[in-house]
Amino acid sequence: MPMLLERGGETPERWTLIDEAAPLPPEGAVIVPLERLDEAIATGPALRLGLTLPNDASVTPLRPRFQRLALVRVVFPTFSDGRGFSLARRLRSAGYAGRLRAAGPLIADQFGHLLACGYDEVEVADAVAARQPAEQWLAALGKITRFYQSRPDAAPIAAARHARGA
Amino acid sequence: MAKAFRTSVVTANDLVEGTSVFLGAEGWHADIGRAMLAFTPEEGEGLAALAARFVEDNAVVEPYLVEVALEDGRPVPHLRRERIRASHAPTVAVGAAATPSRAAERRAA
Amino acid sequence: MYRYDEFDHRLVAERAGEFRAQVARRLDGSLTEDEFKPLRLMNGLYLQLHAYMLRVAIPYGTLDGRQMRRLAEIAERWDRGYGHFTTRQNIQFNWPKLKDVPDILDALAEVEMHAIQTSGNCIRNVTSDPLSGVAPEEIEDPRITAELIRQWSTLHPEFTFLGRKFKIAVTGSEHDRTAVMLHDIGLQIVRNEAGEVGYRVLVGGGMGRTPMIAGELRAFLPKADLLRYLEAALRVYNLHGRRDNKFKARIKILVHERGIDSYRDEVEAEFAALDGSDLVVPADEELARITAYFAPPALPEREEAPAVLERVKRQDPGFARWVGQNTHPHRVPGYTAVTVSLKPIGAPPGDATAEQMRAMAEVAERYSADELRVTHEQNVVLPHVALADLYQVYRGLAAVGLDAANRGLVTDIIACPGLDYCALATARSIPVAQEIQKRFASPERQAEIGPLSIKISGCINACGHHHVGHIGILGLDKAGVESYQITLGGDATETAALGQRTGPGFSYDQVPGVIGTLVERYLELRQGRETFLQTYRRVGMEPFKEALYADAA
Repeated sequence: MPMLLERGGETPERWTLIDEAAPLPPEGAVIVPLERLDEAIATGPALRLGLTLPNDASVTPLRPRFQRLALVRVVFPTFSDGRGFSLARRLRSAGYAGRLRAAGPLIADQFGHLLACGYDEVEVADAVAARQPAEQWLAALGKITRFYQSRPDAAPIAAARHARGA
Repeated sequence: MAKAFRTSVVTANDLVEGTSVFLGAEGWHADIGRAMLAFTPEEGEGLAALAARFVEDNAVVEPYLVEVALEDGRPVPHLRRERIRASHAPTVAVGAAATPSRAAERRAA
Repeated sequence: MYRYDEFDHRLVAERAGEFRAQVARRLDGSLTEDEFKPLRLMNGLYLQLHAYMLRVAIPYGTLDGRQMRRLAEIAERWDRGYGHFTTRQNIQFNWPKLKDVPDILDALAEVEMHAIQTSGNCIRNVTSDPLSGVAPEEIEDPRITAELIRQWSTLHPEFTFLGRKFKIAVTGSEHDRTAVMLHDIGLQIVRNEAGEVGYRVLVGGGMGRTPMIAGELRAFLPKADLLRYLEAALRVYNLHGRRDNKFKARIKILVHERGIDSYRDEVEAEFAALDGSDLVVPADEELARITAYFAPPALPEREEAPAVLERVKRQDPGFARWVGQNTHPHRVPGYTAVTVSLKPIGAPPGDATAEQMRAMAEVAERYSADELRVTHEQNVVLPHVALADLYQVYRGLAAVGLDAANRGLVTDIIACPGLDYCALATARSIPVAQEIQKRFASPERQAEIGPLSIKISGCINACGHHHVGHIGILGLDKAGVESYQITLGGDATETAALGQRTGPGFSYDQVPGVIGTLVERYLELRQGRETFLQTYRRVGMEPFKEALYADAA
């Protein structure tokens, strides 16, 4: 099972990935592909819903379904394909307030960027986790303590600068 | 038609130093004269496979085969790019070596 | 110039520390080379033909004597005693070792310098006008905007893994010295009809294998909207720019394929939807703080037309020629901006030795309000020199061979490192430049020819900006032999144009003669004081083509 990381460290996987063909359970927590979203919603409110989203997906058609989604899992095909960073920002600014997960061969050095763009957790590919255990991900997070941009957990430098001066 | 195989050596860059190096019998050398030669496609593949092991060990990066001619038994790359690389220096005077001549020109003027 | 406070200091120092840890993780195998490569590139570290190469940012081209001295120290301690100034206001060291790079970054951080985002698929260091705060026609110092963009773009979490590199330039003058129309985004500071200062936003310019002149994205963008608008423009690019082909991944291709109107619509929609409250720069605090740093230096009153200058010019014709060619009008009477040409005959264009860097630092400290600028022509500018001090400046520069009086002339050649250093190059550039320089070495001959920019690239990626040279030279590989294509009529200024190919290429040995032929033809054709470019625009390609290929026909 892939390592799942959030800001505070490793966290257990509570979701089941459902592929294109597998039957949907009546209840529990599942992550379904985009093409099965309507089918999964129709299953009923006992099923907690997560959605796997390709990084070139359009946000607008999803907006009416945001309330029904407890998790969105954005797939990065490679670590250097940064579309998922902007997609997360778009999801958040469109009002998506559920959990946001990044999946794919991402590397520890990207952890801070992911969190800053609105992700809550990262599903680390096994091949990467073998070389970059959780400690490296958490260490990467502390390397730079304050940024010019505002982040979910910190005000930007300009604000700190003038708060101090005020 | 596949290109005919020409005698080759393997070059790469040393990971830590960055310098261009050539694969010899006892490891990697700056001197292309110490490089192992591949005379057949199979030998070429063998050298490439050996180089790949050094990549996995994080010793070198970006290895590739360089076609050479033998001049007095010493490998000389066919391509200018690779000759420049094997020489470990630009073809022009650089740094302080490029300035004294200018000083001399000025004195002569 | 901008000064770091504790926050800027800490960020740059921490970034150097982060890179040190990344190097350690590369060496212990935690990071593969594929993973490490974009990380090192984002810190300016390339792997070239012979060795690593470290590209250090000189933010918007401004540095002081202490910083220039530090570059000299780095060149001596960790490199081979010299560095190479580039067309994007950077300096490159050609021989650092990976294990030394963290120490080099620490040494840079101490003097408020870094290598952040000088390479990689991210927002690159912002470039600006080397005559910022000097040029009489300037509307506003563009470095204020450039510094705002530097902060906004530094370690931007969303735009660190773009489809391709992203270059921004800012100019505050109508006369463009930043090649603003050849950037992914170009910002021109303008005044609208109401007299307010804002930006004309250009998009989709660039060189490389598909050169394009930028189009107008916004005729007028209010200043307060700048960062929010850039964020929207970058987001649309990041999401929709092509990822299937590295050679089609720049924003110019997106703009070209979709049409600029369609791209603009998407940007405007994103801009309207963007919650950018944290992207509005507080005008009374942060903007005022940054602006204060770029206040003009307090220049003491000096003689407007010092008699000593005229006297020395009469006595020393070399000096007179240098003053005539290498100075630029200054907005303060009695002062001038001096171009230090890094193109002495026969040396690699743009290179400076540690000794030369120290000499430039010394002269700047004594005679130019402790300021230096780097230009996209690979020269250095001393922005605030009193006319009465010009001779001392000249002597100081001449002592280290930096007195070439050739700014903008045929020997002021831009050249990329080419096959001598670059892993991507297909042909040599530096020796081609040197051979052309030798052919036109005579100062009288250069003066007779007048303004003529020759730009040489050693491969199709066009780092030598050949597309916008009045004469462009592109070195290619034809079946293992270097072959050089010639283009004519390129222009990097506000009248930007891409050069047109003359026809079949020439061999390495033929190039100097080819340039000689083109110059001869120009001298025959020109009317009055017409420049090469003006003549070309009047007569077109044919007469030049005829001169080059007549014998072959």
